Amino acid sequence: MHFLNNLINQNAFSLNPIIKTKLFKKNLNFLTSFHYKKSNLYKKYLNGLNYQNKQNSNLSEIPFLPVRLFKEFDFLSIKKKEIFKTLFSSGTTSGNLSKIYIDKANALNQIKVLQKIFNNVIGNSRLPMLVIDRENTILDRNSFNASAAAIKGFSIFANQIVYLLNEKGNIDYKILSNFLKQNHKNKFLIFGFTSNIYLNLIKKINKKKIDINNFSNAFLIHGGGWKKIEEKKISRNKFNAYLNKNLGIKNVRNYYGLVEQIGSIFFECKCGYFIASNYSDIIIRDENLNICKKGETGLVQLLSLLPTSYPGHSILTEDIGEIVNDHECKCYGHGTRFLIHGRLRNAELRGCSNI
Amino acid sequence: MNEDKSIEYLVGKKAKLDVFVEPFSFKIVSFLDDLSKSLDSKINNKNFPDLKALSFFCRKNNILNLKSKHQNNDTTRFGLGLLFHITPSNIPTNFAYSLIFGLIAGNSNIVKIPLKKFDEIALICKSINHVLGKTKHVKIKDMITIIRYDGKKDLLTKKFSAICDARLIWGGDQTIANIKKFDTKPKNIDIPFSDRYSISLINSEKFLKLSEHKVLNLIKNFYNDTYAVDQNACSSPHLILWNGRLCEKAKKKFWFYLDNLVRKKYDSPLISTVDNYSRLASELIKNKNIHSFKNLNKSLYVVTLKKLYPNLYISKSKWGFFYECNINSLKNIGHVTRRGLQTITYFGFSKKFLKAFFEANNFNGIDRVVPFGQALNINLIWDGYDLTKILSREIEIR
Repeated sequence: MHFLNNLINQNAFSLNPIIKTKLFKKNLNFLTSFHYKKSNLYKKYLNGLNYQNKQNSNLSEIPFLPVRLFKEFDFLSIKKKEIFKTLFSSGTTSGNLSKIYIDKANALNQIKVLQKIFNNVIGNSRLPMLVIDRENTILDRNSFNASAAAIKGFSIFANQIVYLLNEKGNIDYKILSNFLKQNHKNKFLIFGFTSNIYLNLIKKINKKKIDINNFSNAFLIHGGGWKKIEEKKISRNKFNAYLNKNLGIKNVRNYYGLVEQIGSIFFECKCGYFIASNYSDIIIRDENLNICKKGETGLVQLLSLLPTSYPGHSILTEDIGEIVNDHECKCYGHGTRFLIHGRLRNAELRGCSNI
Repeated sequence: MNEDKSIEYLVGKKAKLDVFVEPFSFKIVSFLDDLSKSLDSKINNKNFPDLKALSFFCRKNNILNLKSKHQNNDTTRFGLGLLFHITPSNIPTNFAYSLIFGLIAGNSNIVKIPLKKFDEIALICKSINHVLGKTKHVKIKDMITIIRYDGKKDLLTKKFSAICDARLIWGGDQTIANIKKFDTKPKNIDIPFSDRYSISLINSEKFLKLSEHKVLNLIKNFYNDTYAVDQNACSSPHLILWNGRLCEKAKKKFWFYLDNLVRKKYDSPLISTVDNYSRLASELIKNKNIHSFKNLNKSLYVVTLKKLYPNLYISKSKWGFFYECNINSLKNIGHVTRRGLQTITYFGFSKKFLKAFFEANNFNGIDRVVPFGQALNINLIWDGYDLTKILSREIEIR
């Protein structure tokens, strides 16, 4: 899309709220009409909802697709032969996978946008990266699961990638010490899923085998959700404090995003808020799907300007969050500040199914 | 039975293989009556309607009443022996009914309860332990073991499957298929209570003639059949069939009153908002048979279908998500009675009329036809099984 070319030359957090709202209103309405024409399934959805105003809806009136539907349907706004890659994610409510179809232009925009955002988080230069995972031996170039996609996505910021875990999933201390010996004097990245960071860098790591002074230049980025380690009842603050105290890692940043929505990637700033870039925004909805006020907790709806290959520009997630009411910070630049409080639980239904 | 550490014993340690008595044995009736009293004393001021219903079921008068309906005094019957119950995670009292049916039929019981720790389950087990502590019920001790273990521990399921005389398997089709993998004794009987759905049948003309008071009462009964269990019981209606000449007017009134009651009374978690909206979105995309939909509140969605047709698929909705359709002829019910249909709750028809109708039409798959308000009343005949008969054997004496 034309406007993206203009936007991509700016800082990723340059738009003030008034300009951003205007831009989003225009382009999200465009995307709604665009996908209505291109995707038969999406058309059925909007027709079913009796959605009339396809040109001039306010942001809060733009229809949203529940994220679960990406598991049930193959949403496509391009021809099958134009599919460049397919993203898969496993959700929490069932074993089914979401399937997201991306064409070349979308894939390219996704990388560009991620890079623009990342510049604000870490800077412009490429850094050595220690991945807290196993090396994925077989990577199909055209189809990615969530973990492979994330590692692959972040790898563009690295000039060297080293995997910490051996084939059995244990820490390879030799690899670790070689990596640190080589890189500890300058800024370097540590990347991993929240659960893997917890398991390996907090629980398993043998402090006798490492020198915590070697981690002082580390910048640790983690994401993928707290769900797996929820039962450990570890808060963000505790998590960060552990890493600081035990390993000497001062910079720890969580990221949040949906595989289902390209362009929606959010990094914590140093104050602990996720911040929406020029390319995405967030709306919080209550139990009746009405808009919540700032500071109120509710369901997260995400908006993104990027998806053109599939109707994913407005998605109702199953995450719970809030838009920050006060103490707004100046980090990165403009953009809605928000917190994520986790994912909806599979509620304990009364009734007679499941054991 | 074993010392496996992965089992938690809530009641008993060793239900015996060879303990069985006659159905409706006096010992059992007396035990259940004491259990009823113990439950009452524990719940007196607390809001546990399902426990009250359970306690009511266990009363001596009720059991003797059931006995007079179900017992033929001319025959000689005994329990099969040892029953293995695999009970569902969601209706907290379900395991107790399964156990009670097993006891009434005269059997010894191993009851596997869900991992989820409901207050109701703890309270029922406490009551059972309390009553079993009395000397007069010492023999019943051999007949009850209540255990909790992770269903993924196949070895335990395998072990119990190998020794029991019947398995009562409550759960989804997947669970049933999984349990059936484990070998049993040759004469073992499996009684699967699989996933079902249910419908309601309303006579629109009769409904519109009701006084305000009676409308409120009917709506309350419908609410109890559905919202009391988040519409997630197999016997809660999912599809409402409207019959008669005044369907449109009746529908409007019915949903209006239900909307009011639901807004006032029903409390559901945030995930229900997402579940209901996602179900609606999915239906709008894939279901060609939708005429229109109403979203009256977050817990009352009504999808109006164009028509019923043979083998129409009805999804088992929950949290107050209903399908509705008009039917000119009751014979159209036949389109939705395939194997999965469990209960029809009805209003505005006489029992006599319905009995004659269902006898004449021989539909596949209906297990129960009951008035509004009785959908959840579990009984000795469930899912079409006459449990006291199936769980006991007859000795033919000439």
